[in-house]
Amino acid sequence: MADAARAPARWTSPARTPIAPSPAPSRLRAHAIAAGAVAVVTALGFVLEPSLSPSDVPLLYLLAILIGALGGRGAGLTASALSVAAFDFFFVPPRFTLAVTDLHAWITFGVMFAVGLAIGDLVVRLRRQETATHEVELRAQAEALRNALLSSVSHDLRTPLAAITGMATSLRDARVVPAEHADEVDTIIEEAQRLSRILTNLLAVTKVETGAAPRREWVPLEEIVGVALARLDDELAGREVTVDVAADVLAHVDPILVEQLLVNLLDNASKHTDAGTPLAIRAHREANRAVLEVADRGGGLPPGPSDRLFDRFERGPTLTAGTGLGLAVCRGVAVAHGGGIDALPRDGGGAILRAWFPDDGAPPSLADEAA
Amino acid sequence: MTAMPGPAPTGDLILIVEDEPPMRRFLRAALTSHGFRVAEAGTLEAAERAATEAPPAAILLDLGLPDGDGVEFLRRVRGWSTAPVIVVSARDREDDKVIALDAGADDYLTKPFGTSELLARIRVALRHARGRTLGADDPVVTVGPIRIDHARHEVAMSGTAVHLTPIEFRLLALLARHAGKVLTHRQLLHEVWGPRATHHSHYLRVHMAALRRKLEVDPARPRWLTTEAGVGYRLRDE
Repeated sequence: MADAARAPARWTSPARTPIAPSPAPSRLRAHAIAAGAVAVVTALGFVLEPSLSPSDVPLLYLLAILIGALGGRGAGLTASALSVAAFDFFFVPPRFTLAVTDLHAWITFGVMFAVGLAIGDLVVRLRRQETATHEVELRAQAEALRNALLSSVSHDLRTPLAAITGMATSLRDARVVPAEHADEVDTIIEEAQRLSRILTNLLAVTKVETGAAPRREWVPLEEIVGVALARLDDELAGREVTVDVAADVLAHVDPILVEQLLVNLLDNASKHTDAGTPLAIRAHREANRAVLEVADRGGGLPPGPSDRLFDRFERGPTLTAGTGLGLAVCRGVAVAHGGGIDALPRDGGGAILRAWFPDDGAPPSLADEAA
Repeated sequence: MTAMPGPAPTGDLILIVEDEPPMRRFLRAALTSHGFRVAEAGTLEAAERAATEAPPAAILLDLGLPDGDGVEFLRRVRGWSTAPVIVVSARDREDDKVIALDAGADDYLTKPFGTSELLARIRVALRHARGRTLGADDPVVTVGPIRIDHARHEVAMSGTAVHLTPIEFRLLALLARHAGKVLTHRQLLHEVWGPRATHHSHYLRVHMAALRRKLEVDPARPRWLTTEAGVGYRLRDE
């Protein structure tokens, strides 16, 4: 059906330009075309009548209805009604009256209406489909452009950052910098690494926001915790981080995305709490979902709805560096998995940020080995 | 993460394949100051020429070169050279790293990285390249505090015997044979479970978790059995 539809769709393409449904003027025009087609067919019928058989005239009107219906459902109806009226008036005996004596004529009328409605309906549906396809195409183009732009930005920024980090570590490791300037070299390294993390978050945001499905696997959350802690070795130095994650807590998630979520939660907690205060990572399973939490002993949640924490460019009250992107990425990641994230006050002071990830399917069995 | 200053005794030739001059300058400086000789190429074509002219002991290959697919180069080089190849790539390019590793690369570095990481990777790669030519397979292998006796199927951690299941033993033995080197999920699954199990990465993850419970002091902060996110696992040896 979609293929058969292509020809009339092309016919309507000049009117397609706006994405919104056709505006009123073009609708009026469609009705005018319908009326015109009926008039032309009527005139043609009159001229050709001597050489036509009586059953040919309704076929001519079907042609008018077809032309009218291409303008949409309303125009199809107009064409059908006018065709029936004109056919009845000019050709059905008694002629030049609207009176009908023949049952046969009623059947013809009925068929004319049905054809008009059906074609009109088909045209509307086609046009809607076409509009939708067009919109999908536009969106895909915009997405492809955004991804290409971001990955080239990412490459163009990462390479100089890698050179800066590399050379600064060379200076540090070669111990050629006088002791009183050692801090400056360390700061260059740290700041370059921070920029690199911001880039990673920018890319993560585009990844989750372009709506690509997460690549889910069954992963022990303990493994993701291990990777995140290793990545934040420097940031978390001097803090006690307790981990309460049993080995059998599996989550059905994209491990790279959830690692980024956990890195951001820990990074956020370390920025908004005093140095040296402890952090805790906990995970457990509930029916059909895995829950991952980061708890701190900081000043608690800022006043106001806790949802706002996860809005992009919303920053905490303390004066610390950040792009306001980290927690937005967390929410994006959780939502991309069909889950969510929230913030709760913690008993005894501090806050708990908690994300959950519903399973998408049953957990796998490990029937391959018992011993 | 302490760097080992001072020149390496070998003076091995390292081929740097990288199109960004600042990055090349960093790699050159870091390697020459540690006693390596370097050759440089900014394109894959130049790299292939350089590698044939003077066979390098190891190749550092940036996957983001403008003039072609680094993996294609890797496959071609693998046709006639056993020199270890370390690919250099960005964090969000895990798929590229896996493809390169499965195509014969020996290890990878994620940008940004420091000198100590760079030198550690090169040391491991060179050691494995030498081991490969010797073909020595010791019945007893020691990695850090972990001692693996292949003949007796026994494992000890800091002198204490540890009971492993047959699969855990195979997994550990495989990682130990490539100690210091990353192994991809696919490589591990293929070797331990067989060619038909290469999509069942959850087997691997669950057994790795069990192995960590038995061999790591704090399984959430693994010291030896580290996870290479999105790529695979590594048994660290330093």
